[in-house]
Amino acid sequence: MNKISVYVAAEFNIAEAARQAKLMASVLGFSSVQSYYIATAASELAANVFIHADGGMFEVSALTDRPGLELVVSDHGPGIADIEKALQDGYSTAGGLGCGLPGVQRLMDEMDIDSQPGQGTVVRARKWL
Amino acid sequence: MTTNSLAPIVTLLQQRAAISSEWMNEVLRVWMRMYPGLVNEDELRRQADALLKELAKLFSEHSGETPPDIGANSALGEIARELSADRAKKGFKPADTAQYVIALKNVLTQHLVSTLNETPASLTLCLRAVDGVLDRLSLLTFEAFVETRERVIAQQSLSLVELSTPVILLWNNVLLLPLIGVIDTVRARQLTERLLESITKYEASVTLIDVTGVPVFDTSVAWHIMKTIDAAQLLGSRIVMTGISPEGAQTLTKLGISFANVISRATLRAGLAEALQLVGRRIESTGGVHK
Ligand SMILES: Nc1ncnc2c1ncn2[C@@H]1O[C@H](COP(=O)(O)OP(=O)(O)O)[C@@H](O)[C@H]1O
Ligand SMILES: [Mg+2]
Repeated sequence: MNKISVYVAAEFNIAEAARQAKLMASVLGFSSVQSYYIATAASELAANVFIHADGGMFEVSALTDRPGLELVVSDHGPGIADIEKALQDGYSTAGGLGCGLPGVQRLMDEMDIDSQPGQGTVVRARKWL
Repeated sequence: MTTNSLAPIVTLLQQRAAISSEWMNEVLRVWMRMYPGLVNEDELRRQADALLKELAKLFSEHSGETPPDIGANSALGEIARELSADRAKKGFKPADTAQYVIALKNVLTQHLVSTLNETPASLTLCLRAVDGVLDRLSLLTFEAFVETRERVIAQQSLSLVELSTPVILLWNNVLLLPLIGVIDTVRARQLTERLLESITKYEASVTLIDVTGVPVFDTSVAWHIMKTIDAAQLLGSRIVMTGISPEGAQTLTKLGISFANVISRATLRAGLAEALQLVGRRIESTGGVHK
């Protein structure tokens, strides 16, 4: 299967998302460190959807044109008001560590955020093989 | 029509002993084989009797064309719920539990077909009513079954959480907290509470936190562990963290996370040596068979 979705509605779905991402990563041939990075990034993105947006969809898929893996989370939460700030280490509106989004950016090769205040957020993060 | 068009069903249900015995034979044939030791035959017959009595009442009080309905709070609903909650607790399969109502439906249908084969209109009406009522009963039974199962599972996972967060006294004043599995909010709270209690109880001056069994070390796990460490240090215990894998260490670096005031060792073994040193002890060779 080259795409797996997990609807993140409860806290235990975060671990499920991370598990699926790790599985897909190792099946695609990522090294164990890279798979660990991907699993952690998945965990961060899914956790954000759960904590900041009250739930949303998590997807991990295999990329074929250029071999790699993509994580996508999408939600209909409050959106991110200031994306630049959200990408700074230590910035959190929820009393968290604030290292999640900047961390994902470093753990993966590419990340883009599409967010409209009041509409929701879509975050895509890719890693190439 | 002022007479009850479902009178044949009532008549049938009044031959309670016969119906019950046929029905129970059918049910027991399967259950005795699948769940020997879990089936109390006397109780089962008593329950069947009570259920048939209520069914007869339902059909006799009924008049009109639409089939009677069973409220969730009616006596019948109550019996159904009790029955299947009991099955769920004993670990019956859902299909075998459903079989209970289906078997009754079969028995009633057969009897109705043989007594009313001369009057097809009445037969149709009665069959439809039996179908409707017993289908509803099936649903109620099933709902109660699932509800009970969910409660059982929730309880099991709670006790699993407790089981999976032991705090071990390794040596005088040295505690070990082995973290295994996903650290979510509930578990984090629970293990912090337990650790703090134990630190006080054993006057622990060193606590080993072993994270070998944590599958993904993300910022939320790190955050939970930091809070635990802060509280432990407030109670005067030093922290030695062990078991961060090479992958985990590199990931934490990428996330920009470091644990302040914490001694970290790659393995539990190295951590234990460190901890003993902190309390002024060490493990020495006594010249035994192993070098
Ligand atoms: N899916 C999302 N919906 C709304 N806001 C979000 C979402 N993801 C991240 N944010 C915002 O970005 C901030 C930074 O996120 P992150 O770096 O993961 O830190 P943390 O989750 O610890 O707060 C969050 O505090 C929150 O305000
Ligand atoms: Mg986050």
